[in-house]
Amino acid sequence: MTATELKPQVRRVPARRSFESLSWLFMRYSGILLIPLVYIHVIIQDVLVGVHKIDLDYVALRWATLGWRVYDILLLAFTFAHGVNGLRNVLLDYVSQPSKVRLVNWVLLLFWLVVTLIGAMAIVGGVTQP
Amino acid sequence: MKRFFDIVLPAALRYRGKGGQVSFLLHRISGLGVLVFLTIHILDTATVYFIPELYQEAINLYRNPFFQVGEIILVFMVFFHGVNGLRLIIFDLAPAYWEARYVPRSQFWVFVISLLLWLPAAFIMGRNLLVYTILGG
Repeated sequence: MTATELKPQVRRVPARRSFESLSWLFMRYSGILLIPLVYIHVIIQDVLVGVHKIDLDYVALRWATLGWRVYDILLLAFTFAHGVNGLRNVLLDYVSQPSKVRLVNWVLLLFWLVVTLIGAMAIVGGVTQP
Repeated sequence: MKRFFDIVLPAALRYRGKGGQVSFLLHRISGLGVLVFLTIHILDTATVYFIPELYQEAINLYRNPFFQVGEIILVFMVFFHGVNGLRLIIFDLAPAYWEARYVPRSQFWVFVISLLLWLPAAFIMGRNLLVYTILGG
């Protein structure tokens, strides 16, 4: 095992600001934020309340509080962007041709934008009573 | 896709990377799995505004026992992805600690902490599953 005991030499290299370096930073900072945001959401909705007590009235009641709407907007904005950018990172491990990299980036940007807009319209618009 | 199955899968199985490889794969699989659910979840929740009649149909699907087992697995994936992600962030912030004697230990604790967070959640969700299926609510 001594062969694996490599001590890395730490040296600071200034990173050039690029889309990829900002995306790398975004994954770290949004990750820190998502731990409380997503854990609280999952513990309340999936574990404590549970799917058998969730219906249209429950959503209407929750969104009657402005704070929960803001909470859900933050969830939507950060989780989905983190997730789609994560998918982009995985895909770019298998795609290296510049033209295909551009295609992946644009398709994912469009996918992210459309789903985020649909979700945001619903949170802002609120529950429609049938 | 053909390339993925021909190259990545056999290589992943042959490469004996121990804990590191397991957490790398689990981080990706959990991330992609949660993203699939998240996309469906944003769209099903959006029906409350666009097509409210359809929302109850979506919820009824989630109340299916198969989906509920999936939900219990999903919660583990969320917990694991968060704890393991935090480990990666800490190492990225303090790369001096990113060395052979700390990494396997940190991976072990990620599994322990994720399981400790998940077990009570899985117990409550599993009990709900039994109450609403066998005992009929």
